[in-house]
Amino acid sequence: MGTPVGQVTGGAEPGLRASTGPPGRGRPGPALGLRRRRALLPWALLAPALAVIAALLLFPLARIVWLSFREYRLRNLVSGESDFIGPANYVTLFTDSYLWRVALPNTVGFAVVAVVSTVVLGTLVALLLARLRPVTRVVVVSCIMVAWAMPAVSGTYVWLWIFDVDDGIVAQALQGLGFLGPEGYNWFADRLFFYAVVVLNVVHGGFPFVAVTVLAGLLTVPRELHEAALLDGAGAWKRFWHVTFPVLRPVFAVVTILSTIWDFKVFAQVYLMPGGGVGGSEMLNLGVWTYVSSFGQRDYGMGSAIAVLLTLLLLAVTAVYLRALFREDELR
Amino acid sequence: MSAPADTAAAADWESRVRRARRRGGAVRLTRLAGRAAGVTAILLFTLFPVYFMLTSAFSDRMTSTVGTLLPSQPTLDNFVHVLTEGDFGTYMLNSLAVACITVAGACVLSLLAAVAVARFRFRFRTSVLMLILIVQMVPLEALVIPLFLQVRDLQLLNTVLGLGIVYIALSLPLAVWMMRGFVAAVPKEVEEAAYIDGASWPVMFWKVLFPLVAPGLVATAIFSFIIAWNEFVLALTFMQQSDKYTVAVGLRQFFGEYANEWGHVMAASTLITLPVMVFFVIVQRWLASGLVQGAVKG
Repeated sequence: MGTPVGQVTGGAEPGLRASTGPPGRGRPGPALGLRRRRALLPWALLAPALAVIAALLLFPLARIVWLSFREYRLRNLVSGESDFIGPANYVTLFTDSYLWRVALPNTVGFAVVAVVSTVVLGTLVALLLARLRPVTRVVVVSCIMVAWAMPAVSGTYVWLWIFDVDDGIVAQALQGLGFLGPEGYNWFADRLFFYAVVVLNVVHGGFPFVAVTVLAGLLTVPRELHEAALLDGAGAWKRFWHVTFPVLRPVFAVVTILSTIWDFKVFAQVYLMPGGGVGGSEMLNLGVWTYVSSFGQRDYGMGSAIAVLLTLLLLAVTAVYLRALFREDELR
Repeated sequence: MSAPADTAAAADWESRVRRARRRGGAVRLTRLAGRAAGVTAILLFTLFPVYFMLTSAFSDRMTSTVGTLLPSQPTLDNFVHVLTEGDFGTYMLNSLAVACITVAGACVLSLLAAVAVARFRFRFRTSVLMLILIVQMVPLEALVIPLFLQVRDLQLLNTVLGLGIVYIALSLPLAVWMMRGFVAAVPKEVEEAAYIDGASWPVMFWKVLFPLVAPGLVATAIFSFIIAWNEFVLALTFMQQSDKYTVAVGLRQFFGEYANEWGHVMAASTLITLPVMVFFVIVQRWLASGLVQGAVKG
């Protein structure tokens, strides 16, 4: 997959492939018709995919904005009719202390902690892997893949089981060591602890991607660069920061962007936890809140407004990253 | 540049590097011990949850919690319960049906689209690629409400078809980016040779291009299978009858059914995880590079 895709098609006239087909055995018809058919062919090939994307990703995106300006509750769901109420949903949303106190801090705070932990741990693992013998490396990478492959839903239940308040292995160990009384302690009621488990769960599933990707990058860094820095007396940290990091900047940008996108929209990992899917609970993030408002409290207009806010937040974050990423010419 | 001088310079460089390593770095033994400790820590962190899931699934209900760490008498009771009394077999069949629709749709549509963007130059080609890249960023949670309304209006709630069609859309952006790489990697000369031999475009497509991009199709198939198999929030919204649940949603049935039968939950989790792990081992190489290419190359 190393071919630079942009150059593959070569510099033919626009709309015309480099080779115009079998010489002398072209289809009948005037040259212009053939040319037009050639120009239409890529669009014909693209049409089904673009139609599906437009109908099921772009149209809903437009509709969610439309819905967010409407009063849309259970009866509207039945009748299909709804009233335009202007920015009322947004006014309610932004004046709701729940947004500022709970949903927004949960979403952003969690994403920051999870992304930083995932990228840092993934990079450390990649640096370690790069120093291992090839055979050991393959074995360790395969084991890490197992964590990556674990579906979010199963992963969440396993972490819940590990930290189960009554019978979980952590609770039992703490009780055995005398740190915890036999009555136990409902730590899932504590927001920090709740999100600590979510972070653990998300980092467990997310760091393998970072490790494998950064490792692939590390193996391309010329050895001479490192050795030269070593001869100049640079320590391990300086060698990483001044040699490895600049070379791998695009790789780090990509893994950070993707981790950010994934961590902003965690759903199952929060929703399935105790109290994670209950309206008014301290634990909701924006993604779960939009779901609970619409399908729990049947206020689809309000749910749409929250969804729009989440989308805008995510687009803003990725726009910042993309600008940093595409500013560099060699990345195009 | 004569070879001997080159070798001598290289040898000199090597020895200087070795000396610098010795000077700056720790003793060889401590460094080895450090690496071993690091590897152990990573393996513990990654594998312990998986190990604990498996042993809990295979341990019998009577043993103590800590006893599940090393089940003395492995049993299949939990699996039997989950599959017979627990309807998990139905959920797995539902998930399989949804996944088949997703895989078929995603493979065909992404292959056609990938040929278009990798083999043709046309106006708005870059715009199309950027659009496909950007729609990936839209959070799924934000689309749940309108997608629910759309699927309901089409009378497709509680059907595998409704869920499958939406999953095709979800997997398409990345599938197109992945397939594009595979199609572009097929040398243009292969196609030109076929043209010279008088092959028409459809013949060229099926007889020449198709076999060469088959590995890409396998990767795309597995990738879209995993999306369909794992997806949670849309399945939760669309499948409202318990006999239509997919595995990700059906797993909740075992949670809090009685006072947390963790053996059942872990057996069901194991059944969900195993197919994904098998496929993942096959596909991970393409998945990682596809993600990175998709994000880096405009």
